[in-house]
Amino acid sequence: MIRFRKKQKVVVPHKKVDFKLYMKRYWQLYLLLALPLIFLLVFKYSPMYYVMIAFKKYSIVQKVSEMPWAKNHGFEYFIKAFKNKDFLYALRNTIFLNLLDIIVGFPVPIIFALLLNELRLKFFKKTVQTIAYMPHFLSWVIIYGLALQLFTPSSGLVNMVIQKLGFEPVHFLDSGTGWVATYIGLGVWQSFGWNSIIYLAAISGISPELYEAASVDGANRWQKMWHITLPSIRPTIVVLLILALGNVLGSSFDRPFALQNNAVLRQAEVISTFVYKNGIKGLQFSLTTAVGLFQSIVNVIFLLLANWFSRKMGERGIV
Amino acid sequence: MKKRLLSMLLAGTMVVSMAGCTSGDGGAENTGVGTPDPETPVTQQTYEEDHNEIEGGSAAELVDGKFAETRKITVEVYDRGNDGGSDPTNNMYTDYIKKGMLEDHNVEVEFVSVGRWSEVDDINNLLAAHNAPDICLTYSYPTIQTYADMGGVIDLQNYVVDYKNDLPHLWDWLGTTNMYWDKSVTDGTLWAIEGKRANNNRIVTFVRKDWLDTLGIAEPTTTEEFHDMLVAFKDNASTLLGADADKMVPFSCSIDVGWRAALIIESKMDPNITDKELYVNGFDDRKLTQNGTKEAMKLLNGWYNEGLMWDEFILHDGDTAEDDMMKAGYVGAFMHNWDYPFRGGEDSIQANLKRIVGEDAKFVAVDCFEASNGEYIKYCDSTAGDRKIFFPTTNDEPLASLLYLDWISDPTHIEYLQCGDEGVTHTVLDDGAYAFMTTTGDAIMNSGQNIDMTITCNGLHLSTEDLTRRSMYNNYPPCDPEDVKKADDVANNGKKPAKNSKITTIEAETGMGEALNSKRNVLYDNVLKCKPEEFDAQWEEYMSDYLTSGGQAIIDERTEAWEKLYGDKVTLE
Repeated sequence: MIRFRKKQKVVVPHKKVDFKLYMKRYWQLYLLLALPLIFLLVFKYSPMYYVMIAFKKYSIVQKVSEMPWAKNHGFEYFIKAFKNKDFLYALRNTIFLNLLDIIVGFPVPIIFALLLNELRLKFFKKTVQTIAYMPHFLSWVIIYGLALQLFTPSSGLVNMVIQKLGFEPVHFLDSGTGWVATYIGLGVWQSFGWNSIIYLAAISGISPELYEAASVDGANRWQKMWHITLPSIRPTIVVLLILALGNVLGSSFDRPFALQNNAVLRQAEVISTFVYKNGIKGLQFSLTTAVGLFQSIVNVIFLLLANWFSRKMGERGIV
Repeated sequence: MKKRLLSMLLAGTMVVSMAGCTSGDGGAENTGVGTPDPETPVTQQTYEEDHNEIEGGSAAELVDGKFAETRKITVEVYDRGNDGGSDPTNNMYTDYIKKGMLEDHNVEVEFVSVGRWSEVDDINNLLAAHNAPDICLTYSYPTIQTYADMGGVIDLQNYVVDYKNDLPHLWDWLGTTNMYWDKSVTDGTLWAIEGKRANNNRIVTFVRKDWLDTLGIAEPTTTEEFHDMLVAFKDNASTLLGADADKMVPFSCSIDVGWRAALIIESKMDPNITDKELYVNGFDDRKLTQNGTKEAMKLLNGWYNEGLMWDEFILHDGDTAEDDMMKAGYVGAFMHNWDYPFRGGEDSIQANLKRIVGEDAKFVAVDCFEASNGEYIKYCDSTAGDRKIFFPTTNDEPLASLLYLDWISDPTHIEYLQCGDEGVTHTVLDDGAYAFMTTTGDAIMNSGQNIDMTITCNGLHLSTEDLTRRSMYNNYPPCDPEDVKKADDVANNGKKPAKNSKITTIEAETGMGEALNSKRNVLYDNVLKCKPEEFDAQWEEYMSDYLTSGGQAIIDERTEAWEKLYGDKVTLE
């Protein structure tokens, strides 16, 4: 924040600044900036060079530049991917699960943050908040272990209770619909507490004067929440929604990989696990690089579309 | 100004990092060895010939078998992640090898560990990083073929002949059968050498002897008796397990149904199956497309729906839940490697069962899945079909690496690596047989018979066959040698070893192994657990997916390759 303000002060439009003088004053800031920039370049930008593998016939011993171009003007593997029904399943599942995640999972942290904000007892508020974001620190492998203890059809705790009550066991993990519900539910459980932190921060930035003024006008708590809190955090909500939509074709790896099993693979295979199984394990590097590139491009398109849309709606975009 | 500065910085770093990356690609220079030299004439040999008739050469650079200057090689070793095991790259046995190799050949050896359960992933990464050990091994030939197609593997055909006189133990131990098992009949390339199975026992069925005794049932000898036994276990669960009755699993199986129910699946195959049919469908080592599999799975599906099998098997991939159930005494029967319940010393299933359930509790081997001709056929590997050893093209020391293989194929070295020191790892019985002891620290063998150290030899191999058998029974302390003997006898009853089709390259198989194996397991798992009325539909659906995803293409290409080589013949010599 400080850095930003200082720079703004110096760079007055149309005024030439002496480079040496400028650097002498601010070199420390650029030094600080250098480290994250180098990180980005080494780990994010330079690997992009290898995106070429998607258009080439991969060989483990050749340099990328030496590898021969793939057939069909380099697009052989893209064509192959779209002819591969497992990829199409993975594509469908990725979009479906991510959209469901947004529909179900996106409002939860907002509601949670609003509710938490209404709590008067500070200790209780802090405790609830801590408990809510604790699952964020659990790895998905551990969460799957917990899920096994709770949800398996005959020895899981939940199903034991269901059976004791005289109902048929529910197949939370080994039937398609049950699995999708479990997947989404566990995702929400794991992340809503953590995701609410940003909203809570935004809420704490709202000027108390607004609430005071509303109280004077006789607004009740519900009205204050609806007319002050919610509109005040709207920019935050929009930014996070853009990011979420931009990731609708992206997929985390560990969550689906840890949770999936052979009974539900038709619903559970997503692009990241498809790439892992066929690329890393099955040695089809070109095919899976093509899939990864396609995924990234669609993600960028989604991001830009969502951004454009939010600007149209009168909100600030992020790009 | 600010912008310009920033872009300069960005561009500068980009250039630096790019340069770093491209030079990192080096090491690709010495690929020449990987591609077969078209000038080299293909030596036409029949593989079963006596290797003494092959005229080989010796390396000029060796004096008394030693290099003048110390050479350095790296060797892959599996890391099994055993609880309380020894360091796989640094223990009593690696020290023995390092010392011996330095003394005998002036070669320094360094071990590189690769996860046993993620071997293909790990080797992929090491190879892609040009960081693979000089001597690599894997169970998966298609993986080697894929690397070879990319030019990443050294062709060994000339090396093993040119240096033959320097490799007497290797040739004696492997013979032409294992040495040339993977040699291509079309172009003579030899991408891998097959380690030899000293013991080709495969799968055996185990049942709880104490449960049989309690219920007064005899050991099953037919499929039907086995089924009746499972029903009896289930019906008497409260007698056998008391309060834990609801935890009983009469017959347990993992998601790898094709392996864990293999004897049932194979018993439904036509016992007179031709070599051609075995070969054509042999790309799947779980016999998915063989002629009796559907019938076998229908039978198992029936058992599953009768509640005789573990209903949660599909949720456990790669965890220890099933073993834990066996150890705790909830499992009535299972099928696995012939020595599976005895493996692991004090942590073995058998030892745990005794500790947790009681003195009488134990698994015994039974032989009960008869084929239609009444025989108890056990399809098994020949002496080959075990681990395949290959040298990646980053290996600059093929001779030193071959000398390593020769050194560990020396019978005295094999014997030491498998038996260790007297008083530390074994005692010698009155009849001369080795009796193995529970070991500690550096002397712990991380794998049965130390097979991870003896990569050219899988299974106990001592000076005589008789001594080997007798010692083998004593190889699983604290398990009863009699139980081991019984499992060995069952495993040997009706063995039908695989034959070498000598067809090495099937294009359609390249890169498909993983995807098809995964689809196979999905098929097996889902047809096992579906409702009986859905069985046929599920079978058709998953099978057509399997075949259209590459299975049929492999079958067709294999058929074609067979017919090209053997014409109308359906039997191998």
